[in-house]
Parts: sequence; C-alpha cells; structure tokens
Amino acid sequence: MMNQDATPLPSPLPGLALRGLLTLGGIAALIAMMVDLGISPVALAGGFTKLGVFLLAMFPPSDGGDLPRILKSLLETLAMALAGTTLAVLVAAPLGFLGARTVVGQPAFHFLFRRMLDFFRGVPVLVWALIFVAAFGLGPFGGVIALAVADIPSLSKLFAEAIENCDRGPVEGTRAAGGSRLHEIRFALAPQVAPILASQSLYYLESNFRNAAVLGIVGAGGIGFELEERIRIFAFDEVAFIVLLYMVAVALLDSLSRRLRSALA
Amino acid sequence: MTDAPDAVVSAFEAERRRLLHRQWIHALLGVGITSVILGLSFHQSQFFDPEIGANPIGRILEFLARMAPHLRTEALLEGREVDGSLASWFYDLPGWLAALWETIEIAVVATVFGAVAAVFASFLCARNLMPWAPVRFLVRRLLEAIRTVPDLIMALILVAAFGAGATAGVITLTIATLGGLGKLFAEINEEVDPRQLEMLDAAGAGPVSKIRFGVLPQVLPNYASYILLRLEINVAAAGALGIVGAGGIGLELQRAITYTEFSTYLAILLLMVLVIFVIDMTSEAIRHNLLLRAEKS
Repeated sequence: MMNQDATPLPSPLPGLALRGLLTLGGIAALIAMMVDLGISPVALAGGFTKLGVFLLAMFPPSDGGDLPRILKSLLETLAMALAGTTLAVLVAAPLGFLGARTVVGQPAFHFLFRRMLDFFRGVPVLVWALIFVAAFGLGPFGGVIALAVADIPSLSKLFAEAIENCDRGPVEGTRAAGGSRLHEIRFALAPQVAPILASQSLYYLESNFRNAAVLGIVGAGGIGFELEERIRIFAFDEVAFIVLLYMVAVALLDSLSRRLRSALA
Repeated sequence: MTDAPDAVVSAFEAERRRLLHRQWIHALLGVGITSVILGLSFHQSQFFDPEIGANPIGRILEFLARMAPHLRTEALLEGREVDGSLASWFYDLPGWLAALWETIEIAVVATVFGAVAAVFASFLCARNLMPWAPVRFLVRRLLEAIRTVPDLIMALILVAAFGAGATAGVITLTIATLGGLGKLFAEINEEVDPRQLEMLDAAGAGPVSKIRFGVLPQVLPNYASYILLRLEINVAAAGALGIVGAGGIGLELQRAITYTEFSTYLAILLLMVLVIFVIDMTSEAIRHNLLLRAEKS
C-alpha cells in the first residue's frame, strides 16, 4: 500500500561497510601511533603502580614546616600574573586599534596583521618562558615577559574585534561636532570598548595565574619552582599541600574576578 | 514661588558637584590602590632590579641579535656544511620533524582517549541522564579539580611515575582533555531535546538504548567540533610537554637552550608554530563545515 510507486530504498549495506572500514582504519591508526610512541601495557602497569604509591604518599598533606616560603611564592606567582597581564594589555590595546578594520582601513594590512596574530597565538607560554629565562637570567622577569608575549596575539585579536563591533553612531556624532581622529577614539570608541577590554583583561588575569604556576619549572620563580623541587625529591605530601593551597587561591581569584566582571557589565 | 526655579537649579548644581566629587575620590582611590598593587607586582617581578630591569629594551635587542640566524645571501641554498646556509640553520630538520610528528601523535592519542573518557563522565554528570545527585556532584568536582591543576604540573608528577617519554605526555593530556571536554559535553547533554528521551521511556528503553538512540544522534556534531578544538589545544600543549621530559618537540627546545643555541631555538620554534598554525586552520575549516551542516539539518 505505502510503497507502491516509490523507488526501492537504497540498500544500507555499502554505507555500513564503508563506516565499518573507516572505524577499523581509525582504530588501526590509533594503535599504530601508540606503538610508535612506545606505550606498552607493561610500562603502563608499572607507571600506574608507582602513581598509586605517589598518591598514597600525598596523604596527609603537609606544609613541611615551610608555610611562609610557600605563601610568599604563591604571592610571587600572583604578582607575575598581574605584571604579565598588565604588560600584555598595555601592548595589546594599541595593537587592537591597529588591527580593527574600522580604524585602519587597509585590507592588505588588516589581513597580514591578523594572520600574524593567528600565527603566534599557538605558542605555549612555557616555550616562551624557556627562551626568555635563558635571555634574562633566572627569576620572575623572564617569566613575566613570557606571559605577556604569549597573551598579546590573542588579546590584540579580541580587542580588535571588540572595536570593530562598536556602535558607529557616537563616532559619526563626534565627527559631526568637529572632533579629530583622536577625539573619536577618546569620546566615541574608548567608552564603548573600555568595559569589554577590562573584562577580557580580567579573564586573562585568571588564565595567567594558572600559566604562571608552571613557569617555575624553567626557573622563572613562583609556586612552580617550589612544586618542581618537591616532586624531584618525592615529597608528595608537600606537593599535595601546595596544589591544594593553589587550588584555593585559584578559586578565590576566579570569584573575585567574576564579581568585578559582573560589576563592569 | 518666584525664586523656586533658582533654588532648584542651585540645589541640583550642589548635588551634581557632590556626586562628581565623590566619583573623583572613588576613581583616585581605585587608581591609587591599583597602582600600589601593580607597583608591588612589578617590583616583585624584578622590573626595578638594577641588574635585570635596567635597560630592558637593550637586553631584548641584544637577545634578538643572538637569536637571529647567521645567514649569508650568497650561501643561502648551499649544503649543511656551508656556514650561513639555510640548511646549516635548520641543521637537524629530519630529527625535528620526527619530534614534531611525535608531538602530534601524543596530541591525537590523548585527544581520542580523553574524549572517550569525557563522554562517559559527561553522562554521569548530566542532570537529565543521571538521576543520583551525589554521583553528579562527585564527577563534577573531579572534573573541576582536573581543570585547576596546570597540565605541566601533572606532567611533572607523571614523568616521575612513568619515566621520561611520550607515555607520561599522553596520560597527562588524556586527563586534561577529560577535565575540559567532560564539562562541555555535560552542558551539551543537558540541552538535549527531552521529547526523544520521553519517547524512548514510553517505548520501554533502558538507559543504554536511551543514550544510544535519544542522546548521541543529537549531540555528536557538537561533540565533534569541541573535540577538534581540543585537538588544537592539545597539539600546542604537547609542544611544551617535552620541556619537562614528556616527549615530543619540547625536548629539542630544551636541548637547544641547554647548548645556548638560540638560533636553533628560533628555527624549531618557527617549525612548531607553522605546524600548529596549519592544524588550527584545517580544524577550523572542518569545524565551520560541521556547524553549517548542523544548521542545515
């Protein structure tokens, strides 16, 4: 009754076979990669046993009698995050104006500029830190520069987009009132962009507090250095203590920044 | 009544002055406190250190000069032995490419396993699929904890357990992926159209069939686009893992720094950035495609 004059349904078999082949191929490729990486069940079993021992050694967490020093390096990490974010914002804000299509109307420049930002966006902060610590010597300075350099491309791009999305009305109003180019930026664009810039900067501060915690691994100071030292001597109870303290600090900073951001919005 | 408008105006002016005054004080206080905190931060970060912070521009220029490769235009395309050729700058290209490939493999394997784990975790903490609140609570807190610990710190611990090599890197990124994707997947799961779940309930389906026929068809396109995004993040993260001994190109970067070969570092950095850039662009194109297809259907 239903399918009197309809063409017969195509057989599902070829599609299913193709899917099965693709799945098998994917699994084979995955296994090949794991073999290439040297992931063996024996090594995994041994590693997880050791990891279990480490985890057991984490309880109870202890400050190792060095609480003031740990707190000081936690504050240092926060200081690095603040300084790095500030530097990044100071550089990224003008770059954002340069990269906004509505401010600099050169399509070729705009394209090249954006592509360059995209190009350097992917470099992990630790990779920058490694080279900057080698250049500037051990200590937080190289780490702060690394944080800033790692943020500038993506932050500039965000700023440029925020500026492009601005309402054109105030700009035209300023121009109609006889304002100069600088007046346009000061009285028409800046008031619209400032809250967005501020809230994006706070986001980056949060993420930099996380990033700054690993910089100590390459000698850039902060909590990462304390952690690495203790992991190296298998003092896992102290590692657990520092990680827990750090998690509390992250949660505090996040909630503070969230409050500030909602006050801005 | 005749002088009332004047009184109103002057009262208004006084009020306005008072408000402006208060605004000024608030702004000054804010700027003052912020600059003290920032000043302390920059001080702590050695920016005013006479040895390091002095003449930072000069130091950056000097450092850039050290990083610049020694190239001579007439010898650019000569062999590796000729000083000043491109080949002598990229003197270990095959080795670096192999290390980069290892980095990509680490990222891919970790993304696959992390995503599979995240799918399971996301079903355990989605409000519409997991009726027991305590399980949801525990899984969510666990995912949150994973997201807070920086992956390189995790990698340090795992390298201590599994020894130096790619295995520690894969496990680190698998755990990090689980933390990141688990939360996103759970959010996707909670937005699933409930009518299909109700239909399956009415048809007497068990929890597994409900997930297979009610949830997965709706969420897979979204999952796929987040997995690709995570793959991009993981390739970049895997690039850094070698610095702590967890395999991949980071090891070569570390080696270049140890031997103070800054121009080699630049060469490897450029290669790495290029690979990340190509993968980002490809994955972005695929994600756009996925989105378009999801919108059409």
